[in-house]
Amino acid sequence: MAISDELRSDSGTVPGGDGDAPAGSMRPRRSRRRGRWHTSIGALPFLVYVALFLLVPAVSVVATAFKNGNGQFTMANFDEAVHGVYLQSFIASIKLSFASALIAAVVGLLAALAVSATENRIVRSLVAAGSGVFANTGGVPLAFSFIATVGNFGVVTKLLSSAGFDLYSHGFSLYSVMGLTIVYQYFLIPLMILIMIPPIQALRKEWIDASASLGANRFQFWRWVGIPLLTPPILAAFIVLFTDAFAAYATAEALTSGTIPLVPIQLGSLISGNVLAGQTNLGDALGAGMIVVVLVAALLYAYVQRKASKWLR
Amino acid sequence: MATVTPDLQRAGGGGSNVLRLGKPFRYSVLTLVGAFFIIPILASARFSFLGNNNSFTFSAYTQLFGTPQFWSTLWLSVKVGVGTVALTLALLIPTVIFVHVRLPRLRRLFESVSLLPLVIPSVVVTLGVITSFRNLPNIIYGTPVILALEYVVLALPYSYRTFDSAVQSIDLKTLVDAGQSLGAGWIKLLRFAILPNLRSGLLGASILTFAFCLGEFAVASLLSFTTFPVFLVQVGRLEASQAVALSLIALIFTWIPLALVMIVFSQRRGGRRGAGVEAAIESAVAE
Repeated sequence: MAISDELRSDSGTVPGGDGDAPAGSMRPRRSRRRGRWHTSIGALPFLVYVALFLLVPAVSVVATAFKNGNGQFTMANFDEAVHGVYLQSFIASIKLSFASALIAAVVGLLAALAVSATENRIVRSLVAAGSGVFANTGGVPLAFSFIATVGNFGVVTKLLSSAGFDLYSHGFSLYSVMGLTIVYQYFLIPLMILIMIPPIQALRKEWIDASASLGANRFQFWRWVGIPLLTPPILAAFIVLFTDAFAAYATAEALTSGTIPLVPIQLGSLISGNVLAGQTNLGDALGAGMIVVVLVAALLYAYVQRKASKWLR
Repeated sequence: MATVTPDLQRAGGGGSNVLRLGKPFRYSVLTLVGAFFIIPILASARFSFLGNNNSFTFSAYTQLFGTPQFWSTLWLSVKVGVGTVALTLALLIPTVIFVHVRLPRLRRLFESVSLLPLVIPSVVVTLGVITSFRNLPNIIYGTPVILALEYVVLALPYSYRTFDSAVQSIDLKTLVDAGQSLGAGWIKLLRFAILPNLRSGLLGASILTFAFCLGEFAVASLLSFTTFPVFLVQVGRLEASQAVALSLIALIFTWIPLALVMIVFSQRRGGRRGAGVEAAIESAVAE
């Protein structure tokens, strides 16, 4: 009993080995002997590992972006990155991510509402497990299964054309930004469903009953209760979807063989060695630009999330 | 991020009258969305069995299995996956347990660290790896070892949270107290008390990490390692039906373990905190 109490008080009041711990007698022998410095050493390997294999590469990209081929400071890389074809690719990437995230947010929200309102347990579990699986699906296999479906010689393309409707003569192409927007839905919609089910379920029954007993109709409930409550989580989810689409590389590369000018694709082709003279560190500037876009999204997310948690606690 | 996700199965929160959504709405939405997800799978299956003149054939599959590169790239991906899982567990087990026992107030902070890979797109990480590790010994930089080393970090958003929520769900304090009062050291504690209670968490983290490794394309292809997904893209440029067949195999083999993880985690504790949900939410950059 005594030992357990001591341990509890130790870990409860001495996070990170703060010096303001209760007197030594309250602390277990082990940590007194080793001192406060050792209290945090056990977590060090993990932090060092992440720093080495994630932060070092990221920082080196940002640092290199400010250098020219001779290692001198320059802004020329950024200048290049925000003009001409590279500016276009940033715009195209942001447009694609925005459109994909918007569609997925709307469809995913409707599906999350539908599944939350369903009493059928099998349907609910199926949607939950299915969403978990599909949200983790992506990359190359996804691209090929869409090629098999609505590609030039896809099964659905052929079915439609034998029914007298030629997809590709009506402005559709899978190997385009529009095609990518559709393919991305395959992992974005389930992600939206996963993110939205908890806040929808958290719409408290009391609020709904209260609004009903005050005589609210369906429209009024959604106008004054439902939508205001769900707006922060929807915004947060939208940002997650946007980031997801913005960073996606594999699907776009496999589907279009790198012909679509998106930032990750451009960066990938610079890495693979398609570097023009005088653009030594242009890729690093593009990479830094990507980090900036994602960081802005992450900050917005943190802001919205703070608002959301205020409501849903 | 919603950390407490109410159980899907619980009736209370979401009966039909509560959300005021009619049956026609519910079923038409779910049917349409369901169709969007099922049609590409059916179409892929049909496409991969399509021979000349619409005949039915296994040739895409038999040709694939006869390609030595199919087996060698798959084997490479499996090796990288196993290495990544081993490294991940070696890193996560001590860290997460240590954080829970000694630094419980920093739990959130460590969770945020594990989410950092979501802020740095993997294409950018790859570029950084090239610029900063170019000069490392060839055994690290020039071999797939670098892939495993990077995948540990890139899969953290899945693995860390899965394992962390598993540790959170057991009464670690009591286990540690009981073990220590019986005189067990940390090795014995881990071996006989803690890890056996974390089996599903370990399994979940391992499966998610392994699935990530088998599917990862960006880093491998940009560092010029022909892993399974890279091979898949090469096949796709020549033989569409083989690539589709291969994709179908790849999808099914990732879906089965992922589905297992989802089921195991949604049943444990009534799905109070679906690790699958958490992990999936973080699927971001991973693709």
